[in-house]
Amino acid sequence: MSAAVETGWIGRSLERREDARLLTGRGEYLADVRVSDCLHVCFVRSSHAHARIKDIRLDAALEIPGVVGAITGAELSREIQGQKIPVLIPAFPAKYRQYWPLAVDEVYWHGEPLAAIVAKDKYVAEDAAAAVEIDYEPLPVVTDAEVALREDSPRVYDDWDSNEIFGTSYTGGFEADQIAKNDAEVEALFAQADVVLRQRFRTQRCGVCPIETRGALAIWSETDGLTVHLTTQRPHIERLALADLLELSTAEVRVVAPRDQGGGFGVKAPFYREHVVVCHLARKLGRPVRWIETREEHLMTVSQERDQIHDLEIAADREGRILALRNRGIGDVGDGRQGVYWGFVMPSLGSVMLPNAYGIRHADIKLRCAVTNKACMSPSRSFGALPTRFALERGLDMLARKLGLETAALKRRNLVTEFPFISVTGVHHDSGNYVKAWDKLVESVDLPGFRALQEEARASGRYIGIGFACGAEFSGIPSDVLVPLENQPGYGVVTMRIDPRGKIAIHEGDAPQGQSHETTMAQVAADAFGIHPDDVSVRHGDTGTTPLSSGTIGARGASYTVAAIAEAAAALKAKMARYMIHDHGLEGATADDFSFRGGAVIYEKDGNIRREFAALADRIVMGSINLPAGEDPGLEHTAYFEAPKPMICFTAQAAKVEVDIETGQFTILDYATCEDVGTVINPIVVEGQVQGGVVQGMSNAMFEEFLYDENGQQLTADFENYRLASAADVPNVTVGHSPTPCPDHPLGVRAVGEGRPGPVPGALANAICDALAPFGVESTTLPLKPEMILALIEAGRAGNGG
Amino acid sequence: MYPAPIEAYFAPRTIDGALQCRAEAGDDAMFIAGGMSLMQAMKARLATPRALIDLNEVEELSGLAKGPRGVTVRPLTRYRELAVTTALHGALQAIGDAASTVGDRQVRNAGTIGGSLCWNYVASCMPNVCLCLDATLVLASLERGERGVPINEFLIGPLETARRDDELLVEINFPASKVYGVGSAYRKYGGTVDGLPIVGIAALIEVDETGLCTDARFSVGGILPTARRFDGVGDALLGRSGTPAAFVEAASAAADAIETQTDHLASAHYRKVLIRTLGRDVLAEAHARATGG
Amino acid sequence: MEKTITVTVNGTAYTRTVPLRLLLVDFIRDECGLTGTHIGCTYEGRCGACTVQIEGRAHKSCMKLAVQADGKEITTIEGLGSRDNLHRLQQAFSRYHALQCGFCTSGILMNAVDFLNENINPSEAEVRRALVGNLCRCTGYSHIVEAILAASATRHGLKPVPPPAETEPPP
Ligand SMILES: Cc1cc2nc3c(=O)[nH]c(=O)nc-3n(C[C@H](O)[C@H](O)[C@H](O)COP(=O)(O)OP(=O)(O)OC[C@H]3O[C@@H](n4cnc5c(N)ncnc54)[C@H](O)[C@@H]3O)c2cc1C
Repeated sequence: MSAAVETGWIGRSLERREDARLLTGRGEYLADVRVSDCLHVCFVRSSHAHARIKDIRLDAALEIPGVVGAITGAELSREIQGQKIPVLIPAFPAKYRQYWPLAVDEVYWHGEPLAAIVAKDKYVAEDAAAAVEIDYEPLPVVTDAEVALREDSPRVYDDWDSNEIFGTSYTGGFEADQIAKNDAEVEALFAQADVVLRQRFRTQRCGVCPIETRGALAIWSETDGLTVHLTTQRPHIERLALADLLELSTAEVRVVAPRDQGGGFGVKAPFYREHVVVCHLARKLGRPVRWIETREEHLMTVSQERDQIHDLEIAADREGRILALRNRGIGDVGDGRQGVYWGFVMPSLGSVMLPNAYGIRHADIKLRCAVTNKACMSPSRSFGALPTRFALERGLDMLARKLGLETAALKRRNLVTEFPFISVTGVHHDSGNYVKAWDKLVESVDLPGFRALQEEARASGRYIGIGFACGAEFSGIPSDVLVPLENQPGYGVVTMRIDPRGKIAIHEGDAPQGQSHETTMAQVAADAFGIHPDDVSVRHGDTGTTPLSSGTIGARGASYTVAAIAEAAAALKAKMARYMIHDHGLEGATADDFSFRGGAVIYEKDGNIRREFAALADRIVMGSINLPAGEDPGLEHTAYFEAPKPMICFTAQAAKVEVDIETGQFTILDYATCEDVGTVINPIVVEGQVQGGVVQGMSNAMFEEFLYDENGQQLTADFENYRLASAADVPNVTVGHSPTPCPDHPLGVRAVGEGRPGPVPGALANAICDALAPFGVESTTLPLKPEMILALIEAGRAGNGG
Repeated sequence: MYPAPIEAYFAPRTIDGALQCRAEAGDDAMFIAGGMSLMQAMKARLATPRALIDLNEVEELSGLAKGPRGVTVRPLTRYRELAVTTALHGALQAIGDAASTVGDRQVRNAGTIGGSLCWNYVASCMPNVCLCLDATLVLASLERGERGVPINEFLIGPLETARRDDELLVEINFPASKVYGVGSAYRKYGGTVDGLPIVGIAALIEVDETGLCTDARFSVGGILPTARRFDGVGDALLGRSGTPAAFVEAASAAADAIETQTDHLASAHYRKVLIRTLGRDVLAEAHARATGG
Repeated sequence: MEKTITVTVNGTAYTRTVPLRLLLVDFIRDECGLTGTHIGCTYEGRCGACTVQIEGRAHKSCMKLAVQADGKEITTIEGLGSRDNLHRLQQAFSRYHALQCGFCTSGILMNAVDFLNENINPSEAEVRRALVGNLCRCTGYSHIVEAILAASATRHGLKPVPPPAETEPPP
């Protein structure tokens, strides 16, 4: 046993267990997995956004020395199942189109894979891919969702009656008459309101591409079937899907998410078509096959989210109290064919989250999603909610300006104050003190002081501004939400095993990509058992050794998985206590009479009755005679955690900027947040999660934009054209706290992994518009390009009479 | 993204050796210097040289020398060295400004001024700076020996120069200028910090003892077909003392006169805004340097 | 189309016959088996995950051919410090939680070590500009900047930036 320490591991900024290997270049990422005799795959991708494939000629490619094989969509479609299988389909009514992982007959977006080459060497595979000849017959292209929704628009799929893949109302109920009644009530509130704001908001196509691209390494064995190492956030879901698609028994499929993954942020959550091709080729050729995505492929095919338009209306009274909300959203979901998400799930959840954090009681919220000839929308951190957050946070600022109110005050007035609160779209806000967190943030940025500075600055021709935004984000997603959303369970689950030496192994079926599970989860277990975190190991991602769970998504780690650890620990502690009671003859004692600390299990009523933790573990696991009545030997427990309702994590954020009115260029002077993450397991890890999420939001808001030309050609498939923020483009982010423990979580934790980018574009745009208030600037589109800001300044000047 | 197969690779140590290799390797051969542009192009298979002649071991292609006829910068001099050298003062300070903001540290550790000139990418810094500073380039080939080409004749269009494929750039010569009373500067706007220039401006100003402007040069990069000088700035400033109003006037004249293009990074109009605002600031900075301010 | 080269990586000479077009990063990863050097952008040389030191200077190894490194000395992350003897910058990265997924970390360290050799006591703004060639998607950069500042100060016997309080939970 390592140096024994008292309890109290929760709440410490421990250095991470992961770091020793990552800092010395010994990480185990997908590309680092060594296998001998491995072949390499290169995908041949469509150069057209919409075309019929007239001919694919592989001969020249196959003649290149080192090329082992090639496959086209037509061939593949005869060998495996189509991608429309139950495990990959949400329980919503939508148009789920059958498709194969390589295009058959027709391509629908620039970059769609239509053949795969296998070669001994990755360089040669690329040579061969370039040698494949394809004849296309171009078809009409639609790249704009609004155009796509028009009746006379060209169809992406010619057998569909419209390009609308999904559409629904999120308010009023499920029946048409209920919805109509609700809409009428909302309309009545609008008619009575002192003030109504109507504005269209648009968020560009962008996302959170990780620095490690996607990849797969499939190994086929006649005895064991398929083992596939995959960049994925949800290995167990991949396994089920692969088994079904390849018509294998699940016993023959093992998915291993590498121990280290170079970021995911939602991008590695969907079931992608390339995975199954690589697995099929490994089986077909009987040799290991690897695919590592290039950056160009990545930017052409995934990480594309956010692409939404919102026509938002807010009705309010003179004091800025929101009376009702109306929103018509449009999601541009690209080709709408992608396992689990089908493009529309993100905008759909975005609409659900729209009113979050504010106590809005009446709303009429509807969404339509269109397919277009672009890559399928795939998830990115802040899942669907960044665009709606931008619309609402910007809209409220515009409302405040209309009413002549301080925006921070108007927002505060509308925050949820009574818990639990169920939003108009049904989001359960469990608990918290949003106003307190808000006040703390506003105090930390010294709003009155800033207003004074702003006046002075304006007098000397400088324009500084402050902007606020907030978010109430899911802290994990309960089955109640996830089963209908994705046909997958939401529960957290771990298998915890204590060995005879007192070492604890935690097996989780999730697959983190930088979230520090090995450290924070060890802290939680060590805290529970009163042992050192070094005596706890955390293993994840291998379906061969971990219980089925739906993966590292939606901030599930600290919420659901940690809760399952707490429950597993409680169960095992109770069992250990029962052995103590039995072995020491402590009739009448209960589990509560024992404390686990300092590496020992101690009977509180008589400190002399104690056992070393490891000795007790050895007694139970190895000394399996003389058992307590009805007791099993062994120390292993699988615990499932399910919160009764969604748990929520609140964030309030403030940006200060300075704008150059000659160029529209701006600098972020300061960025601060105030978080309610409940109990903090590891403060520095939480701070890192928040800072990272905020800077993703900044980078999205300022620079990132996937552009397609009118022919659907993607113009931004490299980092020179799709630009990410570097360290020099962003400021330090200050993270503040105002915790209220979560009552539905055994440790009171709220998880921060998902939502932090969401409020950022609103806060930044609000700050810019605040700085430029003398010109009446109201920006309503992203990204916040200086050129766009300048145009607004110029329009404002013209409007003001120069 | 990997380069297409390469059949021959040479790493000569002298200029003569490099030219010999070029002759031996034949037509599909390319020189490689820092590789910061060529490797991108090779990996995207936009360039598929059959043979590569690596210049990195040719010591005589690297470094700076000062002579009576001016300053010679050898083409293989890296941005890193150009950013810190004390040899580039007075009229040549714009080179240091540009070199210290090209790309990032790693790019500056590898990339060379000669490579940048020979590549002549639209969004680049050195062609623009050298145009402003009246550089003359010396090109050498085995068959034709050496020839000097003024920079304005060298830069032709996007990825196009007057260099023939078999010619090696061996010298970049900047004319002698006075030590005091002259200053130059360069700035760019690239969207992100140190990003490729959407617009870059280089300017040089010379003043007499009374502070009146005796020479003013101004050039713009980031525009098609290639970096361009705007002589109207001289007209606006010559014989005048440098005042903020004069710089605004001169830069505005440039913005009005110079044709700009629209692409996904910026509109033609916004490029003009950048020429006007950056231009004014760069003129002011060059002037401040010229007057020791 | 092949050449035999000898490259010294972390003090070990590797003699290999390689295709002329082989990228240095693939030589390091596949021929030397040193997989701590990563690939994140594949052609434009923007992300910096593959940064190594060639003759002591930070370079993106995806932007060089292996044959260009013939006869050169290269240091990769594996040569910077070992588990038991971490470089002070590695220590600072762990202390300040300057890495999450770790994929960009090797490149950042190899660049930052070169940077600190050049600029012994940089400002925050200088550190941020020195990192332009290394994209990180997880951390938001704040902790990376703090760690580099802390390591630079330590080196000169200056008072290091105080480490984050290990036991102090948030207020
Ligand atoms: C991430 C990144 C960011 C960048 N940012 C910027 C920026 O902000 N501003 C900017 O201006 N540039 C930028 N660049 C480009 C950079 O400046 C390149 O270094 C430069 O364009 C080429 O120089 P090089 O030495 O690398 O040449 P190479 O790439 O080796 O060669 C370029 C061309 O020049 C030819 N060549 C090279 N030397 C000679 C010679 N002596 N004689 C004849 N032909 C020769 C080669 O054959 C080739 O055709 C960036 C590059 C990268 C990768």
